Amino acid sequence: MASNDQASDVATYAASVRAALSDLPSDQAAVLLEDLEDHLREIAAETGGTLTERLGPPEKYAQELRTAYGATSSPSPRRPDPAFRDVRRAVAWVTSSAWYREVRVFLPDLRPAWWVLRGYLAALILTAAFSRDYPLGPIPNPATKRGLAEILAAGVAIWLSVRIGRRSRKLPQGAQVLAISANVLIAFVALAVLGNMHTFAYSELIGTATPEQAPFNAAYAAGPLTNIYPYSQDGKPLTNVLLYDQDGRPITVEQSEAQTTYPIGADGKAITNAYPLTQRHMNGDPAVAPRVAFPPWPTPSPTASPSATSSPTASPSTSH
Amino acid sequence: MSQAEVDTTQLLKGVLDLAVLAVLADADSYGYDVVRRLRESGLDHVGDASVYGTLRRLYQAGTLNSYVVPSDEGPHRKYYGLNNRGRKALDQSAQTWASLSKALNHLLNGRSNSHGK
Repeated sequence: MASNDQASDVATYAASVRAALSDLPSDQAAVLLEDLEDHLREIAAETGGTLTERLGPPEKYAQELRTAYGATSSPSPRRPDPAFRDVRRAVAWVTSSAWYREVRVFLPDLRPAWWVLRGYLAALILTAAFSRDYPLGPIPNPATKRGLAEILAAGVAIWLSVRIGRRSRKLPQGAQVLAISANVLIAFVALAVLGNMHTFAYSELIGTATPEQAPFNAAYAAGPLTNIYPYSQDGKPLTNVLLYDQDGRPITVEQSEAQTTYPIGADGKAITNAYPLTQRHMNGDPAVAPRVAFPPWPTPSPTASPSATSSPTASPSTSH
Repeated sequence: MSQAEVDTTQLLKGVLDLAVLAVLADADSYGYDVVRRLRESGLDHVGDASVYGTLRRLYQAGTLNSYVVPSDEGPHRKYYGLNNRGRKALDQSAQTWASLSKALNHLLNGRSNSHGK
């Protein structure tokens, strides 16, 4: 046999043996197979014929190696599918890690907690199924008849769930798979219901925000807008300027830390869009108009135009 | 594989450690040479993989030393030799084997004698 043929025979045979032992833990396999090629080359050099003729099929050789080495025997004589080898290796790595074992130890302690949660979630799913036009909340309102019924139903569901949990310790294999599937299903459906709950609340908010009911709240890119100081063209501070938006809604600003005093109208209602607002800081000091720089107008009139540096110092709040 | 060969393989399994230790006590050796020497001693059916696996296991168990001898022509050879633990293991196993074979021989002799009568 030519030496090239021998080399490829050794490589092929060794690869088949390694493949047949691929289920061994990697450290065991490394120790067992580290000088396999050298050993096979020795045999190939000293005997005629192929390695298979001399040693038998590589799978049988691998089995003999496994037995002699005392390695953990493979559960099935089938060769493992190489496609799943990486997955199995990853699973083995996870299951042999310290944190996984720790989680495995304390997970059973959480079972009763899951039973209670499961009962609550089951009741929630049932409630959601029967309340299409009904705003669903995480905790029913006990003041209403319906809320009271829901709380009662949740109590019964929790009691049932715990009872089932306590009795399902020793289920046959098939029933166990079914039970786990049911638990996963409850968890997923409940997740969907809980997600929808948020949508209900959101749409409610949108629904109430009609132009008639709420004033237009002015927003400002530079930050919260808490007051507006109007001036006339010649730089005189104006007071009690009423502002409205394009839909005729009064423009109001966000409530700031400063305390605002609104003028009360003849009808007894507060006028909230008369600017500048009269405000006091937290420490009681009245809010003072900021220093402003007026723009130079295109056609300056010598009497009315203020200089660019002039700034009003009078506080608009003094006019009240 | 004939029935006789199966029997031999089964019987060998139990004493292969002892046989390998005995060969190595004679002289340090590498895998293929151990197989050859076992066969020359009359253990015709000893499997190559069994010897290779046994050598690796005994080495892992700490009863053997190992060193690589470079070779000009063929592959590098991994030589194995007994260390102190290996020699102790060999002594113990040899004693066990001696008493076992004595008992077994006695049993077998008794059978052949009774047949002869």
